[in-house]
Amino acid sequence: MTVSRLVERLLQLLLVLFGVSLIVFLMITLTPGDPVEIMLADQRATAEQAEALRRDLGLDRPLAERFFIFLGNAVQGEFGISFFHRRPVWDVIAERLPATIELTLVALLVAITVAIPLGVIAAVKRDTLLDRALSAASLFGVSLPGFWFGILLILLFAVELRLLPVGGRIGFGFDVPRVTGFLLIDTLVAGEVAALRNVLAHLTLPAITLGLPTAALLARVVRSSMAEVLASDYVLFAEAKGLPRRRVLLLHALKNALIPAVTVTAIETGQLLGGNMIVETVFGWPGLGRLVVESIFARNYPLVQAAVLLYAVTYVTLNFAADLLYTVLNP
Amino acid sequence: MTGAEQLLAVRGLRTVFPTRRGLLAACNGVDLQIAAGEALGVVGESGSGKSVTFLSVLGLIRPPGRIEAGEILFEGRNLIGLSTAARRALRGRAMALVMQDSLSALNPALTIGTQIVETILAHGLARTRAAARDRAVDLLHRVGIPAPGRRLDDYPHQFSGGMRQRAMIAIALAAEPKLLIADEPTTALDVTIRAQVLDLIDRLRRESGLAVAMITHDLAVVAERCERIVVMYAGEVVEEGPTAEVIARPRHPYTRGLLASLPSLEDPDRPIDAIPGQVPDLTRVETGCRFRNRCPLAVDLCTRPVELRAVGANRRSRCIRAEEVT
Repeated sequence: MTVSRLVERLLQLLLVLFGVSLIVFLMITLTPGDPVEIMLADQRATAEQAEALRRDLGLDRPLAERFFIFLGNAVQGEFGISFFHRRPVWDVIAERLPATIELTLVALLVAITVAIPLGVIAAVKRDTLLDRALSAASLFGVSLPGFWFGILLILLFAVELRLLPVGGRIGFGFDVPRVTGFLLIDTLVAGEVAALRNVLAHLTLPAITLGLPTAALLARVVRSSMAEVLASDYVLFAEAKGLPRRRVLLLHALKNALIPAVTVTAIETGQLLGGNMIVETVFGWPGLGRLVVESIFARNYPLVQAAVLLYAVTYVTLNFAADLLYTVLNP
Repeated sequence: MTGAEQLLAVRGLRTVFPTRRGLLAACNGVDLQIAAGEALGVVGESGSGKSVTFLSVLGLIRPPGRIEAGEILFEGRNLIGLSTAARRALRGRAMALVMQDSLSALNPALTIGTQIVETILAHGLARTRAAARDRAVDLLHRVGIPAPGRRLDDYPHQFSGGMRQRAMIAIALAAEPKLLIADEPTTALDVTIRAQVLDLIDRLRRESGLAVAMITHDLAVVAERCERIVVMYAGEVVEEGPTAEVIARPRHPYTRGLLASLPSLEDPDRPIDAIPGQVPDLTRVETGCRFRNRCPLAVDLCTRPVELRAVGANRRSRCIRAEEVT
C-alpha cells in the first residue's frame, strides 16, 4: 500500500468516525425519555432539584452545543461521567471490556476451527451431496437468530442435560485475583485449574451461540475462494509436479484461498464485538454489550455515546487492519 | 511399432467432458508416440484436443471430465488403471509439465525456492531441505538465472517474464523427468525471449536426453526444433510425420491450411490465407471427416468414417484424398 493511499484511508476513517458520533448523538438524545426523570423516578424530588440535576449533567444546554462539547472531549479521550454509575464512563467500560473481548475471541476461535475445514471439504467435494448438505447447513447457520439459538442451547445443555452452567463468567465460590480481567488468563496465572475449567464451561454456550453464525458465513467464503483457487493454473502445476494431495490442498491452495477469508474474519470480529448485545443479555454475560443495553434503557447518554464510538473505532480499525494484512499476505 | 520401444505411446485415447449440451469428446481416439529423447511437435488450434491429450497422460483430467477409452503406455506400462498414488509418483518424476503463463502457473504466495525444493523432496531426491536447496540453486543455474542463490527466496512476481519461464522450467526439471510436456511454453512471451526459451529447452534436451512434447498452435515454433510433428484437429490426429516432410509436402488439407496461414519470410507480399469456417461443435459431431465443412477438397465420400492411414514411410494422414493435397 502506498503512502498516499494510507493517508487517504486514514482520512476516510476519521470522516466515518465523525459521522458515527453525530448519528449516535442525535439518535440517543432525540429518543423519547428523559434521563433525569429516569434517575429520579423513585425519589420524591422537587422541580428545583430536578432542574439542578439537569444543569449538573449539562442537559440544559442547546443540542448543538452539547454535541460539540461531546466531540471536543471525545477527541481528548474524555467521555464524561456515567449518569447512572456517577463514575467516569471510561472506567465503567474498561471494567466490562475484558469479558466481551474474551467471549469474542473464543467465539472467533470456534468460528475459525469450524469454518476452515468445512469450507475446504465443501470446495474439494464440490457439487457432491456433501457439499450441498454443508451449503444448506451454512445457510441455516447464517440465518440463525442469536437469541433463539442461545435459548435453545440453554434449554438443552443447561436445563435438560445439566452439563453446562449458564449465567455469568464464573461460578460462585471461586476467588481469582483480578489481574488482566481475562478470566482464562487470570485463572491460569493463579494456577487454579478448577476455576479455569469452570470459566471454560461458562464460556462454551455463549461462544458457540456467537461463533456458529460467523462460522457459517466464513465457511461459505472459504468454500468459494477455495473452489476458485482449486481451478487455478498453479494448483494444476503443483499437481503436475507430483506433490502429495495434502500439500497441494493445504499449502498451495489454502494459503491463497485464505486471503479473502482473512478480510471477512477481520470484519466479522468487529461485528462480533459490537453485535453481542443480544447474546450477552441472554447469557447474563457481564460484558460491554449488556452494559450498553442497560444504558440505553437508562438513557445514560455519555456511556452509550462512548460505547458506540468505541464500537465504530474498533470496526474501522479492524477493516483497516484487514486491508493491511491483505497486502502482507499477497506479496 | 510396439509400445515397448516408445517412451510414451497413446492409443485410442478418448477423453470426454459432460456439458449441458451433451458429452464433449475433447480427444476422440488419439494415437501418438514419443521415443526417448525425441522432440515431438503437437500442433493444432485451440480446442483441437492437444492439451487435453497430455493432461490425460499426466492423469490430471479434472472430474467430471474422464478418460473413456484407450491406453497410455509409458515405458510399456499402461497408466490407465494405476492407483492415484502410483500416478502421482510418476508426475514430475517421469513426466513434467511446463505451462503457457508462468505468472499463473507459479504459486504467488510461495517463493521460487520453496516451489523447487518441495518437488525435489516429494520425489525423495534429497534427504534434507538444505541438500534440496543446493540442488535448486544448481537447477536455476542450469536454466540460466543469474545469482541463483539470491533469487531462491524471491516470489514469482519479482521475476521478469522470461526469467519466470526459466524458473518454471527449472521446477519442471527438478525431479529429472524423462518427458517434458511443454504446453504453449512461449506463447505468452515477447518474441525476443521466445527464441531464448526454446533454445533453453533444446539445450536441456541434448544435455539430459529428455524427450519433449511441444504443444503449440504455432507451426513456426516446431518447424526447426522437433523431429516429428503430429497435427490435431477437433479431437483427432489428422496428420503425422517427420517435420521437414510434413512442412514441405503436407498430406492433409488442414495442415496445408495451417501452413498457408503462416506469414512467409521469403515472400512477405504473399497474402495470408486463413482457413475459412470454424472448428465444429464437439458435442454435435457427425460421422466422417471433421474438417470437411472447411475443406477445399471435400467430396461426398468424406461423410464416411475416415481412418488414420499410412501415406508413405513414417507418415500418416486422416484424409481419403491425402495424395492429392498439394
